[in-house]
Amino acid sequence: MTVADLTYFEDLVQGALVESPGLTITETHIIQFQRLTGDWLTGGGGAVPDLLPLCISSGLGWRIAQPLLAVLAFLGFDWQFLRPLSVGDTIWSRSATLSKRAMREGGIVVESRDIVNQRDEIVQAGRLTLLVAKRPVAVA
Amino acid sequence: MSEPERRHFDEIEIGEEYESPGRTVTEADIVMFAGLSGDYNVLHTDAEFMKSSIFGERIAHGLLGLAIQSGLLTRGMRPYETIAFMGLRWKFKGPIKIGDTIRVQAKVVGKKETSKADRGVITLSRQVINQRGEVVQEGETDVMVARRQ
Repeated sequence: MTVADLTYFEDLVQGALVESPGLTITETHIIQFQRLTGDWLTGGGGAVPDLLPLCISSGLGWRIAQPLLAVLAFLGFDWQFLRPLSVGDTIWSRSATLSKRAMREGGIVVESRDIVNQRDEIVQAGRLTLLVAKRPVAVA
Repeated sequence: MSEPERRHFDEIEIGEEYESPGRTVTEADIVMFAGLSGDYNVLHTDAEFMKSSIFGERIAHGLLGLAIQSGLLTRGMRPYETIAFMGLRWKFKGPIKIGDTIRVQAKVVGKKETSKADRGVITLSRQVINQRGEVVQEGETDVMVARRQ
């Protein structure tokens, strides 16, 4: 068995756009999210709880056409909710590396991320700060 | 059972504080969140790999902690007459491990009028605190709340 390659700090190119495939938000997603959070105030009448698309976007990044990013830690983010979503809407994510700064262990990466709906409207957007691993030195 | 009456922008005052009950984060929470989000990062799903990591074991997804605190705080305050969740600024400061019990402390730190007379923006600062009193997540959330008509 081989372990899949990862995208390391060194591999990230500033400004390069990465687009994910889409995912249609269903009633099932909403019920699962409500059960998990215990928040029954949001998500009524087919409205999508605001934090759910953000959470789904973290998994959309697993289905892009490049190896998984070697994230050591998610440090923080700023986020805006721009438009509401309803059951049946399809979202995908578009992200880019805004800046990268090498540290002794790994490097700090600021990523911009838009969540886009089926009408190409940006529904949520923000900036995420991640600690990403450097490529391990090959042992001979 | 009737829902508690929702509070309007006018009634909410800067400095108000809220505190949620606690909730123990379980392995099941992490498994469900991995399934729902599609984020199966080894940090959250590979117990063997994580034994040799700086954390020593699997940790909860940061966004799982964020999602759980949003639900927890609804149990520690009367709901607002919310029109929309506008945005947030958030920091993940420490890991949440399986078996940790977290609670939320929040405070109203901002109250802003908008160009529309029927609504305003309330900013809450929130801290997610574990059973040892350590702040594991913190940040601010902005919500648009209706004025009383």
